[in-house]
Amino acid sequence: MALEVSLMTFPQGPVIWALVVVALVAVGAVLRARATNIKLRRRNTELNGERDTLLRQRDELLVVHNGLLQRQASELAEVRKDAEEETKAVLKAAVRTLQGLADEQQVVIEKAQRKYGDDPGILADLMAMDHANSQFGRRAQGIAVLCGGWLGRRETVASVFDVARSAQGRIRHFDRVRVNGQVNFSVVSRAVEPVAVVLAELLANATNYSAPGTPVEINIQAVPTGVCLIVDDAGLGMGQEEKDRAAALLSPQAAISVSSLGIPPQFGFAVSGMLAARYGFRVSVDSVSPYGGVRAVVLIPDELLTTEVPQPAAPAEAPETYDAYGTQQEPEAAQPDRWQQAPAPAPTPLFPPADRRPDTATQQLAQITTTSGGLPKRRRKSPVSAVPPAAPQPVRSNEETASRLGAFQRGTRSGRDTTTTTEGSEIQ
Amino acid sequence: MTAPGEESSVSSGFVRSYVITGGRGLPDAEDLSLVTLVTLAPDRQPPPSPSPEVKAIWELCSGGYLSVAEVAGHLGLPVGVARLLLQDLNQQGHLLRRKAPPPAQLVDRKILEEVLHGLQVRFG
Repeated sequence: MALEVSLMTFPQGPVIWALVVVALVAVGAVLRARATNIKLRRRNTELNGERDTLLRQRDELLVVHNGLLQRQASELAEVRKDAEEETKAVLKAAVRTLQGLADEQQVVIEKAQRKYGDDPGILADLMAMDHANSQFGRRAQGIAVLCGGWLGRRETVASVFDVARSAQGRIRHFDRVRVNGQVNFSVVSRAVEPVAVVLAELLANATNYSAPGTPVEINIQAVPTGVCLIVDDAGLGMGQEEKDRAAALLSPQAAISVSSLGIPPQFGFAVSGMLAARYGFRVSVDSVSPYGGVRAVVLIPDELLTTEVPQPAAPAEAPETYDAYGTQQEPEAAQPDRWQQAPAPAPTPLFPPADRRPDTATQQLAQITTTSGGLPKRRRKSPVSAVPPAAPQPVRSNEETASRLGAFQRGTRSGRDTTTTTEGSEIQ
Repeated sequence: MTAPGEESSVSSGFVRSYVITGGRGLPDAEDLSLVTLVTLAPDRQPPPSPSPEVKAIWELCSGGYLSVAEVAGHLGLPVGVARLLLQDLNQQGHLLRRKAPPPAQLVDRKILEEVLHGLQVRFG
């Protein structure tokens, strides 16, 4: 019976043991899993914390990075600006020498033209030299303007018509240009060169971008606010993109970078825009000419115009420049050898002293210059003088004073204004 | 060199001579020589919208005969340029021309020397 019981329970024994073992293992596993779980949770919290820290650090780094980027960008811009300015300063100084030389050469050529003017062959060659030199001078002036330099100042006013003709002389195909219309206005002396240079650049564009042989017209028109110089060509005109670029260059918001003008540089509009802004006149190229090309308009406001009559062309210029060559210095002394074959007539002033009334002067002339027999008599006047009368001198010196003061004022203004070019700050 | 900020002045002429001639060929010197005398023909009206140079010539020549060289001198232009402008006016019939009086005949140097000798012999 006991055996039977033992037999009966015996088979159950292993199962129970197995169950017990399984249960124990399970408990152990659960405990282990729980421990692992706790550990993992702790680890997770740790990692989360770490991640947050890292994220914070990353954000901080991003901020620093952005700051650095900004600093780099601004420093780069500054370096570029410095480099540009340095380049401009060097260029300006170099070009100023060229400008001076071109001007000097022009004077030499003019003298030679007057000296050898009787020989058509020599004169034609001298004119060709003069033409090349004028274009060279214009280019030098253009570069000078882009670098914030000066053009060179004229001492006297010039009629609007002469400004147009002067501009005409500075381009290659001057013979295609016609100047129409005359107004009784002159351009004030400080604006003479700028307007002439701008007009020359516009004429250069007009002749370069239209078919060879087609005419280019300058029409001079008085308008209520000043005088317009209208340049019409018969070219293909400009596309919208070109017009936008031109408009941007013609009304510059900031200093123009020399390197942005392409190779070969197209600086006509840039030069025009800078000069117009500096001297206070307007240039636009957005209309269409009656011939289908571009119509460029320069509007010279009343402030830059005067009714003062330009001084007649006098053949006197700074003689001391040519001392080294041993040529004759005084214009009066140089003159007789020009007409040495002629019986040296007494040179009379081109015009009677200032404030002359043309009508009365002509009447006086008519009275003086006919004999009793009605024959014309040669004019002979004293005092003998080939230089203009001294009377207008004080007027000019006043104006010079005013222009100096104006230049001083412009200089201080440009010194205070950081957006303008550095025209007044050059160190020689 | 100029002081900082001061603009140097430009001393060259303003309107170039080839612009005044319009790039045309220049006439020969024989046509209107330096000493040819010119004046305005009577009762002429100036050409319509004359250039400043033509206007100046008109005023200069209205007063009587002037030589080509004088006209050029007064205008401050090379003689060749003045000659071209005068030729234009001449072709339009505005000008009267007169040859300069022939230069005085120079006496032979030998005769002068003989006279001098004679005088020295007699009075010297």
